[in-house]
Amino acid sequence: MVAYVVRLCLALALGLAFSLRPGVADAQGTIRVGITLRMLVENGFKYGQMAQDELLAVNAAGGIKGQKIEVVLLDDECKPDKGVANTNRFIHQNKVHLIMGSTCSSVTLPMVDIVTKEEIPLIIPHSTNTTITQKGSAWIFRTSVAERFYAAVHAKYLAENAGKKVAYLFTNDGAGISFVRDYKSYMADTYKVEPLYEGQMQETDLDFRPHLLKIKSLNPDVLAIGGQIDAIARISQQSYEVGIPSKVRRVSASAASNAPVPELAGDAVKGLIFAAAFSCTDERPIAKEFVKMVQEKYKVRCPDHDFSQAYETAQLVKLALSRAKLTLTDASLADDRKAIRDAFATIKDYQGLASGPINFCADPTPQCRDGNRTGILVEYTKGGKDYEMRVLARVGFEADFGLKK
Amino acid sequence: MLLEVTGLSKRFGGLVAVSKLDLSIREGEIRGIIGPNGSGKSTLFNLISGVYQAEPGGRIVFAGEDITGYPSHEIARRGIARTFQLLRIFTQMSVLENLLIGYHPHVRYGSAAATLGSASVWTEERRLKDEMMELLGFIGLTDYAEIPAGELSIGQRRLLALGRAMAMRPKLLMLDEPAAGLSPVNVDKLLSTVLALKQRYGLTVVIIEHILKVVMESCDTVTVLEHGEKIAEGAPAAIKDDHRVIEAYLGKEMGDAEVRAFLKAS
Amino acid sequence: MEDASISAGDAVRRDLGARPLWSRLHLPWVAGALFLLLLPWATRNAYHHYILNLILINVILAVGLNIVKGFAGQVTVGHYAMAAIGAYASAVFAAKFGVPFWLALPAATLFTGLVGAIVGIPAFRLEGAYLALATLGLAESVRIAIGVTDYLGAAVGFSDIPPPVFFGRPVVDHIAYYYIVMPLALAGIYFSFCILRSDIGRSFKALREDSLAAAACGINVRKYKLLAFLISALYAGCAGSLQAHMAPGFLHPNSYTITEMVTLLLMVVMGGLGHIWGGVIGAAIVTVIYDLTRDYYQYQMAIFGMVIVLTVMFMPRGIGGLIDDYLAKRRFVAIRRAKANAA
Repeated sequence: MVAYVVRLCLALALGLAFSLRPGVADAQGTIRVGITLRMLVENGFKYGQMAQDELLAVNAAGGIKGQKIEVVLLDDECKPDKGVANTNRFIHQNKVHLIMGSTCSSVTLPMVDIVTKEEIPLIIPHSTNTTITQKGSAWIFRTSVAERFYAAVHAKYLAENAGKKVAYLFTNDGAGISFVRDYKSYMADTYKVEPLYEGQMQETDLDFRPHLLKIKSLNPDVLAIGGQIDAIARISQQSYEVGIPSKVRRVSASAASNAPVPELAGDAVKGLIFAAAFSCTDERPIAKEFVKMVQEKYKVRCPDHDFSQAYETAQLVKLALSRAKLTLTDASLADDRKAIRDAFATIKDYQGLASGPINFCADPTPQCRDGNRTGILVEYTKGGKDYEMRVLARVGFEADFGLKK
Repeated sequence: MLLEVTGLSKRFGGLVAVSKLDLSIREGEIRGIIGPNGSGKSTLFNLISGVYQAEPGGRIVFAGEDITGYPSHEIARRGIARTFQLLRIFTQMSVLENLLIGYHPHVRYGSAAATLGSASVWTEERRLKDEMMELLGFIGLTDYAEIPAGELSIGQRRLLALGRAMAMRPKLLMLDEPAAGLSPVNVDKLLSTVLALKQRYGLTVVIIEHILKVVMESCDTVTVLEHGEKIAEGAPAAIKDDHRVIEAYLGKEMGDAEVRAFLKAS
Repeated sequence: MEDASISAGDAVRRDLGARPLWSRLHLPWVAGALFLLLLPWATRNAYHHYILNLILINVILAVGLNIVKGFAGQVTVGHYAMAAIGAYASAVFAAKFGVPFWLALPAATLFTGLVGAIVGIPAFRLEGAYLALATLGLAESVRIAIGVTDYLGAAVGFSDIPPPVFFGRPVVDHIAYYYIVMPLALAGIYFSFCILRSDIGRSFKALREDSLAAAACGINVRKYKLLAFLISALYAGCAGSLQAHMAPGFLHPNSYTITEMVTLLLMVVMGGLGHIWGGVIGAAIVTVIYDLTRDYYQYQMAIFGMVIVLTVMFMPRGIGGLIDDYLAKRRFVAIRRAKANAA
């Protein structure tokens, strides 16, 4: 029995050691990039695939200054422990030069701690949580629009273009509550304006007309609709039924970007505004080209802003790599990682697909590391099954907007 | 009296399984309980061993202590061991482990010592196993000690069930149809084992049995149940002439000669 | 078979006759400890140390689950929620009240044990699928409650949980953390071994097979059910605390979903339900398979599904069952040979 247990332990250990051995990246002279994203959702896999394709396309063209790129693409399922495991693997096993990730803020947050300690640049394509860049890490760069800007995009635009008399009507779910809270606090902080009217309903309510009738009598400039898909569609429809004129601008939470809203609300959706970081109806040539590419290569009719941000991030990685001076030996790993980080910090006023120019700088502050400070407003121009949208405006902010506290 | 049962009743919905039953068992006797199917024999066992709770008014006193309403394990700990009609041995555990489970109430070490694996635990375990091996020898299953109980034959299982009950070192042993399904040879073997155990450990035994031979040959007193009521009680010789008993069993009047023939045959 | 079984009694007698040598009982543990002490040198980089830590934490979880499920036969789906409770309790003690890791770990472990015992109460009346549903409900409510509690970081996550501090130095490197996790895991295995080899373990097995017969043998069924839940929760609490303080010290309710529970069950089933080494073997194998398939994330679920089906089809008693069979066979062969030699 004793001998047997000892032998069993040995066999297990050998198996373990053996199984852990392969997969160590020893190749010198290649730039290694680790990508971790939430893959196994709707289009998640395509975001990662696209970032990988974009980076590997460089190799076909002879590499960056002759240096080839190698990509390790992993899934983190939006689970922090998986993201942490992937990051550890990138750093110690694959010995990557930089990491791209992740989708969910709760995954990116612990990743920031690791890359700061291990000193590897991390470029963040999707996460929006404000605290990520407030951790003071010198190793992270964010290309997505942080929440602190995003929450005020519509508020700023409408205050300047429609008026400051805002009536709020929302359902008490997470999306509805935070939408209205951010809107109100922007109006209070910037213009010292209190809400004209505030109506709160249950998520399951069907009839919003009593509130809407009161709102009509108050004659607002803006009707702010907070909630999920069904509530947005219903409130839009009922606002016309009670006779709120079309000159009153209707604005809603980001759930309005989901296809069921125009389909459910029909013509009532016309004129409804929501904020995003990219719209597939963007008229700029660069955007049109991108949409066409995605349609052909990834079979998605209308790529959302997660597509554009993944694409943009890959382009920025290429740009930074082309600016960095890399030696690419085992001994130079730490220096190369630092060189890539410093190259990122030199990116100024990059005009790409994103809603606005991307700016980074060397300080480990949110002002320097939240690259994109511009959101776009999208407006529905037609409802129903064959709904149409257009980009209404681009709303940019100062670098230190939303950092008062 | 070792066991004193008074006014014991049990109803299942509208069905009266045991009705106002009185039963007294002397220390050291072997009591047989017979009766046709559904007469309440097994229910009586289940009531005494705490599997069922009796209707209010019933009382069970064991060795001077009122154990009415006690949970099963408390009753077992006080020295009442039983076997089950369907045996209920632990088929996935080894034969030796089955006996060790029976010995559970007498294990001396505590949880903390067990967790830390202190030397006293190993010594005690060794002693337990020694003792159980001896018992195993007594019931003739030594060579099967490490075999999963599920691999035993039916006769061996009956012996094991008996052994498990004996491992509890009971004062009162209650056997629920211990000989059911056994060949005549095995019935004899089982009977002699029971008698030997009784001699050796000074037990009091209650046997429920269908095979009359078992009851007639080994019991001091026989109690007869029908429809949950006691219809006769006495020495085997007296019982077998009782016409109410014969009626209960066969459903018709029989002459003495017929009864003797019947008894001889069974 | 007949031959072999007849010899078994002799074998037991022979075993009992042997003196209880200290080395016989403790040598494997010393050897195991020595082996684990040196294991990091057999690995190549810090990622391997990290994986070793994951394996050992999973070992603690799986061994705990094996006690309540494999031995006591209580179908619980709430084990991972116990780990969550241990993790968050430890995080709160350390991050909010400044309790050092060395106190937060035992405190969280005990707290989880207490909660586990309370969770065990439904098991008095419920069995099988009903108990599974009840524990699943409890587990999901724990996860959801954490997800909406701002004090615990809600859906953003609980960050900046301080690492253990050893003589003034924070333990953040994976290899250093290994030397905290490893002794605990080894102790966990040792304790489970002692518990399950003792009367307590036998009682667990008895109530798994037939609680009525167990009660008739004097086993307090409720007490032992509660004990099983309590012990397994202690294991889960300890593992949770270790998860919380491992670098980078971040917790999130998404890491404690039903998927994690299924993975944990897979470990125990693969290792062998009710086999003492089952949890250990299963945890090691499943964690390594999971890591090796990380690159093939598209197929990971399919691979795991296949592993489950194949395990259930071809080794229903898991790897532990195979080992048991092999050991039994070897024993019989050895005895037979000894008899032949004697004759």
